[in-house]
Amino acid sequence: MRNVLIAAVVTLAAAAVVAAPLDTGRALAVMHERHEGMETIGKANKAANRELGGAPNLAVVRTSAAQIADLSRKASGWFPAGTGPDVGKTRAKPEIWQNPQDFAAKAHNFQVAAQAFNAVAATGDINAMKARFADLGGTCKACHDKYRAEEKH
Amino acid sequence: MQGVPRQISRGRKTLSAEPRGQLVWDLPVRLVHWLLAALILFSWWSVKNHHTDWHIWSGIAILTLLLFRLLWGLGGSSTARFANFVKGPRAVGAFLRGQWTGTGHNPLGALSVLALFGAVAIQVGLGLISQDEDGLYMGPLARLVSSDTSDSARDMHELWFKVILGLIVLHVAAILYYRLFRGQKLTKPMITGRALVDPDAEPMRPGKWWVAVVCLGMALAIARWVVAGAPPFGS
Repeated sequence: MRNVLIAAVVTLAAAAVVAAPLDTGRALAVMHERHEGMETIGKANKAANRELGGAPNLAVVRTSAAQIADLSRKASGWFPAGTGPDVGKTRAKPEIWQNPQDFAAKAHNFQVAAQAFNAVAATGDINAMKARFADLGGTCKACHDKYRAEEKH
Repeated sequence: MQGVPRQISRGRKTLSAEPRGQLVWDLPVRLVHWLLAALILFSWWSVKNHHTDWHIWSGIAILTLLLFRLLWGLGGSSTARFANFVKGPRAVGAFLRGQWTGTGHNPLGALSVLALFGAVAIQVGLGLISQDEDGLYMGPLARLVSSDTSDSARDMHELWFKVILGLIVLHVAAILYYRLFRGQKLTKPMITGRALVDPDAEPMRPGKWWVAVVCLGMALAIARWVVAGAPPFGS
């Protein structure tokens, strides 16, 4: 049942990725929101990573985890068709829209991992936090390695 | 070995008479040189291919090499010692006028050695305090600085690589220049350790093997301390 549900969610998300392209104004707005959202996730991730290395300030870990979990829910809507590098400045690769199923599955994995980290951050179990944080990082990396272009200086 | 005349006498006096030339670079110097070249290549490849963890370990290996070379430059063979080959501008001028005889680095080459080692040391330092843009990896000393500083360090680390590339290009160009216009082969001595040198020049005085072992032990200990997060092991 769970697998069927996941498949349905992924298919729906994939459908959003391949849907009719947006007009330029809306596309650029989405791309801006996406960029800001990714920046915020990155900052929160760095804050959590710093804390989890030593004796963590749990308040920082919890705030970061909640922020990432919240944004992870929005992330699957950040990549509608027509928001690629042909439209504006972005490091999102065209491959995203060539592999909608795979991309949606990766976005889904990110969302699941972000929620798992957020759940464990509420507890006091630091080892579990580290483990879920590592899982979460793996889902970031899986997508970025494949679908994000290199930064240009 | 049959048919090949074996060199029985390896005494200092007979070295210059050997057809293979005499020893100018000891084994530690050659190993550091080629390992450094290989690790710089590997560092570049690993980070381009998203193996950030390997990239960090490669940087730590480079740190260990630099520390070892620094120590060996104080107590190693005569041609490895900084005090013997780092000279002032007057010596560089004399070398450029063709008035230099010696074994090992010439005074101009010495500046190139310092530039390369200095640039790589800066690169390692920047890497140690960097974090990746996603917050998945941190250099072992990144927790000693703020998150913003780690991000800036990463940007500089990326830019500084261009400086290192420039120095590598200059290094290879100089070797080609000596090969093509001066008829001097510099690569082979860096592999075999041997070169034909001016008979008037003072031969290399080899370092002691146990000093190399001590230098390596110290370099590994310092690198281990850095990996632990330095001062009293992290912030």
